[in-house]
Amino acid sequence: MGFKIMPKSALVDWVNHLRAGYRVVGPQPRHGQYVFAEINDPADLALDYPTSVLPPKQYLLPPREVLFNFQNSGMRIEANIKVEPTVILGVHTCDMHAIRLLDHVHNNGYADQHYQTHRANTYLVSIECLKPCMEHSFCKSMGTLTVPEEFDLHLTDLGTAYTVDIGSEKGEKLLEGFDQVWEASDDDYQLLSRVLTEKWPRFSYRLDFDVTELPDILNLSQKSGYWNELGDRCLACGMCTKVCPTCYCFDVSDNVDLTLKNGQRVRTWDSCQVEEFALVAGGHNFRSKRALRQRHRFLRKGKYQYEAFGMVGCVGCGRCAQACLVHITPVETFNELYRRSQRTEPAEVKA
Amino acid sequence: MTTLLKETLQHSSIYIPTIARITAVRDLTELEKLFTLELPHHYSLSHRPGQFVEVSLMGVGEAPISITSSPSRTNSVFELCIRRVGNLTNALHQLQPGQFVGIRGPFGHGFPFERFRGKDLLFVPGGLGLAPLRSLINEVLDDRGKYGRITILYGARSPQDLLFRDELAEWQARADVDLHVTVDRPDDTWGGNIGVITTLFKNLHLHARNTVAVVVGPPVMYRFVLMELLGKGISEGNIWFSFERRMKCGVGKCGHCQLQHIYTCQDGPSFSYADIKHLEEAL
Amino acid sequence: MAKPKIAFFEFTSCEGCQLTVVDSLQDHPELLDAVDIVQFREAMSEKGEDYQIAFIEGSCSRPGDEAKLMEIREKADLVIALGACAHLGGVNAIRNRMPLEDVRKYVYGDKAEWYATYPARPISAVIPIDAVIPGCPIDRNEFIRAVTYLLQGRLPYIPDNPVCIDCKLKGNVCVYQRGMTCLGPITLAGCDAICPTYGEGCDGCRGLISAPNIPALRTVLAEHGMNETDIEAKMTVFLTYQRMELEAAGHDS
Repeated sequence: MGFKIMPKSALVDWVNHLRAGYRVVGPQPRHGQYVFAEINDPADLALDYPTSVLPPKQYLLPPREVLFNFQNSGMRIEANIKVEPTVILGVHTCDMHAIRLLDHVHNNGYADQHYQTHRANTYLVSIECLKPCMEHSFCKSMGTLTVPEEFDLHLTDLGTAYTVDIGSEKGEKLLEGFDQVWEASDDDYQLLSRVLTEKWPRFSYRLDFDVTELPDILNLSQKSGYWNELGDRCLACGMCTKVCPTCYCFDVSDNVDLTLKNGQRVRTWDSCQVEEFALVAGGHNFRSKRALRQRHRFLRKGKYQYEAFGMVGCVGCGRCAQACLVHITPVETFNELYRRSQRTEPAEVKA
Repeated sequence: MTTLLKETLQHSSIYIPTIARITAVRDLTELEKLFTLELPHHYSLSHRPGQFVEVSLMGVGEAPISITSSPSRTNSVFELCIRRVGNLTNALHQLQPGQFVGIRGPFGHGFPFERFRGKDLLFVPGGLGLAPLRSLINEVLDDRGKYGRITILYGARSPQDLLFRDELAEWQARADVDLHVTVDRPDDTWGGNIGVITTLFKNLHLHARNTVAVVVGPPVMYRFVLMELLGKGISEGNIWFSFERRMKCGVGKCGHCQLQHIYTCQDGPSFSYADIKHLEEAL
Repeated sequence: MAKPKIAFFEFTSCEGCQLTVVDSLQDHPELLDAVDIVQFREAMSEKGEDYQIAFIEGSCSRPGDEAKLMEIREKADLVIALGACAHLGGVNAIRNRMPLEDVRKYVYGDKAEWYATYPARPISAVIPIDAVIPGCPIDRNEFIRAVTYLLQGRLPYIPDNPVCIDCKLKGNVCVYQRGMTCLGPITLAGCDAICPTYGEGCDGCRGLISAPNIPALRTVLAEHGMNETDIEAKMTVFLTYQRMELEAAGHDS
């Protein structure tokens, strides 16, 4: 499909047009950072935002989600699957790659209908990143600087207008009845080509090795002393996992009213970094040390998910590094493990 | 007739259980009770030994529990042996016949018992590990002719902690089963073996090349029993474990049972040593 | 099932947690159908002595408190510490690091010798307790949830998560990134991160998580401009008793 042109001056009208039929969410400034939130005033939308506190996964996997309601001690159970057509504006390409992974996890094996329903009713309007968003991002190294095909619409900032790539029928629906879009001209194609060519050198490779080597480097690093160094620093606050666009682990608990008969089963984002995550009923904790939990986190992102799904679990968004109060960053961790693996066993890493 | 799993998959949410009725509750020890559950009319459990179900009580929560009855004796009725260790299991212990619980599953892979046919079998349950192993043991005993020698080495903390004492007595009485029981802490009435489970290996004679060992017990037990089994010459692919992890969802999503790239609830909980020997955190 | 009889007691405290209980009745009047309150000075004049569940607010800060605490323990099947004073010794325990005579003179002036007082302790230091509802004050929703747990015959349970977990579930911008400091990374969650949500750093009123990395947090606080005295002061408000216990056991505090 070709792309269309929407002048920037039409953005407010388009957002209002969308709001008539959808819940529209997008990045907005908050306390010096940006958060995804419902757009009540299109003037709040900040499409040139650097990054957001939480990734847009919150609309596919809400932080707290009622799975079902029960009455009469469970003799009546009703799934809580709410259909709320939602347009997410301004999804960065790293987050689009993360959604690919979330799609894979929740559509395969036993499909998760809650996720699937949110996903089917979510319209992804992604945006081309034209400059590095912040000091911690390393999308170019992770291969997530170009948009994957999951987008419904994809915007690129051409200065006075956006190009609007249409990726799906859902995307076409978002433009239905809106008349301030034009077919792209030859000039627009040339301009887009120039914008894309010029953006590439603005991003640098932050990893000292190719990402395809990452699973092997991490495999060789399983017994590295570096995990203890991280464990000493780590607060086990879990923020890295909460802000991660590919973390989807959850805890399950029940709420019940004072009659003890009616209530809800709720899932809540959980974190492998907290003390009780790998605790079993008999009292054994399979990852009782912060060092082991940090190792689990990094290997999960760089190795385990690749082995399980064929996709690296880290998309290079840099949110975990920005959130970490003790400056544990994936760039530094991966590079340091690479350096150490080179030092001790160079032959094996190359193999 | 449909299976419980097919029924579960047809729910509007994979997390919604099917209601099962408790038909009997029997005290096995001070901490463990045996629950007999009946699925709704027309449903069968159709599980494999080693699989588990998610058991829930609305308002209290849900937990994975291994199925202790064998497929050979199970249809719409099945058994769970439940130890009282936390909020949910405490609440389950309060239940009486006629009351209801929620069930999802069965989940995971069970033991590949078809591959054990023709082999000598060595079962090594420790403590509550007898519950999932009983499913496999009875399956094998109900098809006895297909297997070679059967040896069971069972370790418990004390004589009071022994599970399924009536069945232990039956196995003891059978000429085609070799059962040895040991306890860590004997009482005045105990006339049997004393010591941890590995002490039972001393006088054990196996045809190592033709033996499959299946070990289920607390995490601390595995490494020690493994050393004994490898020491006897049993091959790594013929040593089987069942792993305890905190499977909160049972369907490969919640992440609590992750063992490196493996979701124990999906790829396990049964693993051969050959499957997991390279995985840090496995044993 | 008969409604459980519950009673409220207070020791050294501001009684704000009991006020929160009264407050919770506005959202949950059905609480009165579920339990039988036999003693609650904050809200009623009757005083029943027959109760199964005792909620105790306040720290033990006088020798004379001990007998009453033991009496309550004797009578009740379950004893629940209500709020930071009962749970941690509360702000009352700030004085535990100071010479007692100075503290008394500071507070009571020339009447100092009239008042028997000693280092403030959580009630668990005097009698065994069954559960805790933490916070200064308690969270009313958590109180109601705790009561449903008790009605179910189980003990209130709080996941061993730091406040950062609750805070990030709400999508908050970290208060450190807003130029403030916060004890959230070492403090037990369950409060829905109410203080950071409203733009204040956590002071630790719910007590420490089971394995806090206090040295690492000290580094963080120092990086954010606090000197040793400020850090010590911040960690003193609610955490004095727990930290003195850690020190006595030879751990970092």
